[in-house]
Amino acid sequence: MSLHYLFAELRNRPVRAFTGAFSIAIGVALFVSLQAYADGYRRAARAPLVEVGADLTAQRQGTVPGKFEGVVFPHSTAPIRRHEINQIRKLPGVQAVAEVVFFWSFEPGGFVAGLGLDPSDTFGPGRLKAGVTAGRFLQAGDHGVAVADTTYAQQNKLALGNVVMLGGQSFTIVGLADTSRAGQLANANLYIPLADARTLANAAPQVRSVFDIGPDDANLLFIKADQTRVDQIAAQVKQILGEKAIVSSGQSFAAELGSLFALIDRFGLLVGLIAFLFATALLLRVVASNVWERRRDVAVMRAVGWRRRDVMIQLWGETLVLAIAGGLVGLALAALTTWAMSHTLVTVPVPWELSPSPHFLPGGDGTFAVTVALPARVTPELAAWALGLSVISASLIGLWLPRRISQIHPAEVLSNE
Amino acid sequence: MSDLLQAENLQKSFGALQAVREASLRIAPGEIVAIMGRSGSGKTTLLHLLAGLERPTTGQILYRGEDIDRLDEDALALWRRANIGLVFQAFHLIPTLSALENVAFPLYPMRLKAAERHARAEAHLNQVGLADRAQHRPSRMSGGEQQRVAIARALVNNPPLIFADEPTGNLDSTTGDEILTLFKKLRNETGTAFLMITHDDKVAAAADRVLKMVDGILLNEKGQDNEKN
Repeated sequence: MSLHYLFAELRNRPVRAFTGAFSIAIGVALFVSLQAYADGYRRAARAPLVEVGADLTAQRQGTVPGKFEGVVFPHSTAPIRRHEINQIRKLPGVQAVAEVVFFWSFEPGGFVAGLGLDPSDTFGPGRLKAGVTAGRFLQAGDHGVAVADTTYAQQNKLALGNVVMLGGQSFTIVGLADTSRAGQLANANLYIPLADARTLANAAPQVRSVFDIGPDDANLLFIKADQTRVDQIAAQVKQILGEKAIVSSGQSFAAELGSLFALIDRFGLLVGLIAFLFATALLLRVVASNVWERRRDVAVMRAVGWRRRDVMIQLWGETLVLAIAGGLVGLALAALTTWAMSHTLVTVPVPWELSPSPHFLPGGDGTFAVTVALPARVTPELAAWALGLSVISASLIGLWLPRRISQIHPAEVLSNE
Repeated sequence: MSDLLQAENLQKSFGALQAVREASLRIAPGEIVAIMGRSGSGKTTLLHLLAGLERPTTGQILYRGEDIDRLDEDALALWRRANIGLVFQAFHLIPTLSALENVAFPLYPMRLKAAERHARAEAHLNQVGLADRAQHRPSRMSGGEQQRVAIARALVNNPPLIFADEPTGNLDSTTGDEILTLFKKLRNETGTAFLMITHDDKVAAAADRVLKMVDGILLNEKGQDNEKN
């Protein structure tokens, strides 16, 4: 192959070279942008979990208590038994489990959403540690203390050192925390030590009226797992918790993103491939018209001693260079488009079950949401796929057409010119 | 002196049309042979047969004793590259390449270093008096200059035989004379043989031998079936 001749052709026939490369560029840009967009949405869907450093949450659908008095479990939760928690901890791929007790408390002074957590957990609600705006976070060995959500504290004029009542027990506020930093999952007003929450739940008549709760049970689990086995683990957790299990993963949050995402997620690859096929068809047209226009040149090549394969390799090389150049330009366009996309915000709704509040209270049926910038990006794997596809399609075109054109009889063409 | 090229009883049919009905000829090294005839008489088809661009329906072409019809398409291409040069009436230069690159064009598929390819092309461009036009593309050259470039391209592999199809057909009289002078000069300097197809008496006058083609039959100067007398 003569690179000198190859680049002379591309340089001196700029319109044709540009059209060929641009068609591939558009195809690659569309293909990559659509995949990056879909992937960005998939990543965004995981934002609520990522913010708390978990990969899955697990709970069990509960029962509505007879009365909403004192401490009750939201009916999206029910006790998860100690042996079930231990079983989950032992599942292959499960790296850690943070167990919490989520509850509502109907006090004379008003409704409180409470969460009992182990402050030594580094993920799940334990992440709230980073959101403390005043005072301190819960510590191991704490008893009778609470950390209040800043908004709740403002609304109820609570300050550090104040005492609040939950289920007939007093809790001193030792810290204030911005709970919006905890993924809006199991969003509570007051955070107390896990042991205290278990004691409250075990002593609560409205909990005991519907559940046979044990002293070490929890009602919500945050699970950190091997990313590659999340779906498999989710299925196994569902099996352990039975038919009332509610297991949430990035995939289940994605389902909350609406029909547009569902369409892109389901058909993005197909639409991208179709766009790519159109681009390839356009390149085929450009190359076909190129080799047709150059029949005389090909005849001259053959007449002056180029073998068929010399001609074929030369024309194939030109197509390949066009495809690679187009692919690179397409990737640059895709990177630009993706960069623009990454400045758009995505709101991921958190299902009511994961952050429940009583429907009958004002605003109780409202849903929480996490808003993040769309984390769309062109990954090296995606770029390699797109470039690979363009090179393969160009190679097929570049071998098929020139193969046909190299079989022309120079005498026929040169006689007619 | 042994013949460079020998054609025996060539015939070429395209369906029912017999383009070449009977043609036999010999070309000796350094000889300039002209074939004259009216349009449609089969001259160009004969040239294509002799140059291995077409295969004869019957007959035999021996180049230095070797039957070129035995060669497959790629071997024929290599044979052309090594042994013959082609000059066309319409020049047939590659429009995207400069004069120098056009001269080097037959060398591109060969594994030559760029410097060597460049030197060989430059030498032949110089031989046809166009060293100062090396970087010009065909569209910026006159017809005569383009034909000189085509001749340099035909010479670049130093072939012993050049086929020229109406080499002065697209040129004015003065430029045509210059091309013929160049052919003679090359013959004298390098011993290259020429087979020219023409219907121009002036071109024929420059040849050592003139053959006539009438209705597909190649006749000698005396109007007799060539090689039979």
